[in-house]
Amino acid sequence: MKFINKLFETKNKHTKTNKNNQLESMNVLKSLKSNLSENIKFIKTAIGESSDIVIRELRAGEDGKTKIGIIYIDGLVDKALIQDSILRTLMLDIRKVRVESTISSKKKFFETLRDFVLPEGDMKEIQDFECLFTHLLSGDTIILIDGYAQGFAASSRGWEDRGVTEPNSQTVVRGPKDSFSETLRTNTALLRRKIKDTNLWIETKPIGRKTKTDVAIAYINGIANDKIVEEVRKRLNRIDIDGILGGGYIEELIQDETYTPFPTVYNTERPDAIAAGLLEGRIAILVDGTPFVLLVPALFVHFLQSPEDYHQRFDISTLIRILRYVSFFIALLTPSIYIAVTTFHHEMIPTLLLLSIAAQREGVPFPAVVEALIMEITFEILREAGVRMPRPVGAAISIVGALVLGEAAVQAGVVSPIMVIVVSITAISSFVFPAYNMAIAVRILRFIFMMLGATFGLYGIVLGLIAMVLHLCSLRSFGISYMTPMAPFNWNDQKDAIFRFPQWSMFYRPRLISQKDMIRQQNPKVEKPKPPQ
Amino acid sequence: MKKTYIIPFTLIVLISLLTGCWGKREVNELSIASAIGIDKSEEGYLVTVQLISPGEIAARTATTRAVVNTYRATGETIFEALRKLTLETPRKIYIGHMRLLIFGEDFAKDGIGKVLDFFSRDHEIRTDFYIMVARNTKAEKLLNILTPVEKIPASKIYSSLETSSKAWVQTKTVQLDQLISSLISKGKNPVLTGVVIKGSPEIGMDISNVEKVDAPTAVKISTIAAFKKDKLVGWLNESESKGLNYILGNVSNTVFSVHCLKEEKLAVELRRTKVKIKGKVENEEPKIDIKLWAEGNVAAAECEIDLSKPENIYAIQKKVAERIKKLMEAAIKKAQDDFKSDIFGFGEYIHRADPKAWKEFEKNWDKEFEDLEVNINVAAKISSTGTINKSFQKDVEE
Repeated sequence: MKFINKLFETKNKHTKTNKNNQLESMNVLKSLKSNLSENIKFIKTAIGESSDIVIRELRAGEDGKTKIGIIYIDGLVDKALIQDSILRTLMLDIRKVRVESTISSKKKFFETLRDFVLPEGDMKEIQDFECLFTHLLSGDTIILIDGYAQGFAASSRGWEDRGVTEPNSQTVVRGPKDSFSETLRTNTALLRRKIKDTNLWIETKPIGRKTKTDVAIAYINGIANDKIVEEVRKRLNRIDIDGILGGGYIEELIQDETYTPFPTVYNTERPDAIAAGLLEGRIAILVDGTPFVLLVPALFVHFLQSPEDYHQRFDISTLIRILRYVSFFIALLTPSIYIAVTTFHHEMIPTLLLLSIAAQREGVPFPAVVEALIMEITFEILREAGVRMPRPVGAAISIVGALVLGEAAVQAGVVSPIMVIVVSITAISSFVFPAYNMAIAVRILRFIFMMLGATFGLYGIVLGLIAMVLHLCSLRSFGISYMTPMAPFNWNDQKDAIFRFPQWSMFYRPRLISQKDMIRQQNPKVEKPKPPQ
Repeated sequence: MKKTYIIPFTLIVLISLLTGCWGKREVNELSIASAIGIDKSEEGYLVTVQLISPGEIAARTATTRAVVNTYRATGETIFEALRKLTLETPRKIYIGHMRLLIFGEDFAKDGIGKVLDFFSRDHEIRTDFYIMVARNTKAEKLLNILTPVEKIPASKIYSSLETSSKAWVQTKTVQLDQLISSLISKGKNPVLTGVVIKGSPEIGMDISNVEKVDAPTAVKISTIAAFKKDKLVGWLNESESKGLNYILGNVSNTVFSVHCLKEEKLAVELRRTKVKIKGKVENEEPKIDIKLWAEGNVAAAECEIDLSKPENIYAIQKKVAERIKKLMEAAIKKAQDDFKSDIFGFGEYIHRADPKAWKEFEKNWDKEFEDLEVNINVAAKISSTGTINKSFQKDVEE
C-alpha cells in the first residue's frame, strides 16, 4: 500500500507545476476594460472564436450613443427569455421608461439599467474576466456597456433537460417515484419541495479547474452536526482537479478510506432517500450533471436499507431487512463454503447429500475450486456484458448465458449441476442489495473468500470473516464508525438498523450522526381510536 | 516499487499457493464406505468394507450394477487392512460417513475392545454410527446382502434399528461413545443389538434379490447381545431384551398385549415410561430399587369390556404393571444366572449411592451382581381409551 502512496506523491509534484502554469495564465484574465470592442475582442480570442458563442452589439440611449454588447452561449440559454427580457427591453421598452432623461446623462447609465430597466430576477455585476467567463459558460447572458469597466451577468440558464423521471436504480413498489436529474437546480428544487424549512441550507461552490462543476452541500441547520458539515466543506475545498464529471469523482476524492471494498459514501437518485437522510442529520452533496446525490456519513446498515422500507409496514420491512442480511452472507460465502466443505470437510455434509454431490461430480474433470472459479468468472462476464451491451442485443445474452453456458456446460460434464445451483443462488442474492456499491464489495470479497476456502478450508473462511469484521470496525465515514449502531452499540438506534420499528416508536434521531436536536417526534399519548357510537 | 515491498508481497502470494491445498480431497476422489464389518482371521482381522458407488445411487436411469460393493482384506490391525484394500478399490476409502460397524459373532466372543481404539482415534470418523453384532454369521456375509426399499444395505439396517428402537423396544441403538463408556465402567457391561440374515446368503448377494416383491433373503434386526467386559457372553430373547430396555429407560413408545378380564387380548400402547433406579447398601449388602412409571392407552380390545368404568381401567393398569414387571425380572434373572454380567449398570448406581462401600464391591462386582437383590415397583396408567369406549365385540358375536 505504501508504494501506491509513493506513486501518488510523485503525481502531486506534477500537479503543483501544473497549478503554477494555470495561475500564470489566470493572471492574463484581468479586470474588464471600459472599451466595449476591446472587451469583446478579448472574449473572442479567449474563447477561440467558438461557433456556439453569440455576440450581439446594439445601441441604446439617446440617439443610440451608448453601445451595448450582449454575449451568450447558444444552447445553454433560454433564447425566449433573452429575447423577451433583455433584447426587447434594451431595444424597445427602454424608450417608454420615464427615466429616459437620466439615461441620457451617460454617467448614471449603468445604474439606471440595473435599477430600472432590466426585468431580470437574478443579475450579478461582474468586474473581471474570470468572473465573466464563469457566468458565460454556465449559461448566463453577459451584458457589457461601452464606457464602463463592469457588466451584468443575467441568469438565463436553460438547456435541454431529461426532466424528472422514474428512478432506474432503486425502484420501489410503493413510495414516491420521482428521481433526481442531471440539472443541479432541478435537484435542489426537488429537495426543497420535500423539506419546506428555512433551516434547509444549500451551499454551492464550483469545483474543477476546467469544468467548474457546481457542487452543492445540503443540510438541515440545527440537525446536522456542525463538525461534520465543516469537515465536508474542508474536504471539498481540498479538491484540486481539472474536472468533476459526476458524483463518483467527488466520492473518491473525499472518502475516508480508499483501500476498502466497502463504500463509505451513500449515493442515490431518490429525493425521498436524501430527504430522509437530511432529517437524520446527514449531509447531501449534489453535483451538477449527475442524478446521483451523495449522502454522508454513510454507515454499513444504510446500504442494506431500501427507501421502500419506510413506505411499507414495519413488520414486512423488518423481515425483508433480515432477509437482506441473510442474502449478504449467502452472496459472500456460498461458493467458498461449498469449496471448503467438498474438498476438506466431507464429514460435515449429510450422507445423502454427499452421495448426491459425489454422483454429480463423477466425471467432472476439475477440482471444485477451479469449477467454482470457471462458473463465477463466467457469470461476471455475463453480467458485465449484460450491462454494457446495446439494449436490443440484451436478449441474446440471456439465451447464451442461461442455455448455452448453464445447461450445456452441465450436459457436457464440464461443471456439476450443484455448482450451477451454487452460482445461481449467489448471483440472485447479490441482486437483493438496494445499494449497488455494496453488491460490488460483496462481489470482490467473494473471490477472496473462495481462495481462502480452497487453501485453508473453513478455517480460512473463518479467518477471513474475522479479518473482514475487524476491517469493517476500523472504517470511518466522516468520523462516524462504519458499524454504528452495532459497534459502538446503541440501543436507541437499533430501532432503525437491522430492524425497522413502527414510525410512532422512533422518537430520536440517530445519536452519533446528529447529536443535536435529537427529538424526532413528541407525540402526546393518544388513546386508541374508538369505534363510532 | 521498492524491493522491500516486492519481497514480502511475493512471499505472501506464493505461500498461499505453496500450500497446494494440503489435505485436499475432492468428493469424487473418495470411496465412501457405508459400513465396516470385522471378523476373525488367521492373520488378525478380516475387514469387510461396503462401498457406495454414488453414480448408481443418484443415477436417473436404472442400471444393472449394484449400488454397493464389498471389499475385504486381512491385516494385523484394522488400519493396515483398510489400507491394504486400496489394492482392490480404485480410490482411497473414506470412512467418515460409515453408518454401521458390525462385528461377527465369533469375533465378538473373543473380544471387541482392541479394535475400538482405532475408531475413536481416527479423525475422519463421525461417531454417530451404530455398532451391532452379526448373529450366527460373519459380518462379511451380512454386508453382502442387498436390500429392497433402501438402496444402501447399511442405511437399511441403520434405519431399521433406529425405528425399531423407538417404536418397538426389543432393540437398542449403541454408538461408539456409549459403548466405550460402558466398557471402561466397572459397574456396567455393554450390550449390542444383533442383526441376522433371514434366508440364504448366496441369493441375498445377487441383484435378483431386490427384484422380487418378497425378497428371498432379508436382513433382520435381532435381539440384544450381552457382553461381559468386551466379550460376547450370550443373547437375550425377545422379552428379556424388552425388559432390559425398560430398566435402561429406553422405552418411549411400544405396544404389547395383556389379557382382558378373561382370556381375550387387549393391546396397550405405551407412550411414555419413566424409570428411577436407586442403589443402596444395607448391612453391607448392595440393593437396587427400580421404580417404573408407565403411561399408555388402549389400542385395541378384543373382548367385552366397558372401558368407561374406572374399575376396569384399574384392572388393566394392574395387568400392564405386572406384565412390565415380569419382563424386567426375566431380563435380570438371565443376566444374573446365565451371563453373570451386569448389563444394566446397577454397579454405577451402587457407586453413586455409596462410593466408600463401592470400593469393596468393585473388586468383585460380577460375583456380587449374581446375588444382587432387585426390588421392582411398576405403576401403570391408562390415560386414554381411544375413540370408542365400549368394544363392539359383544354385538359381533350376537
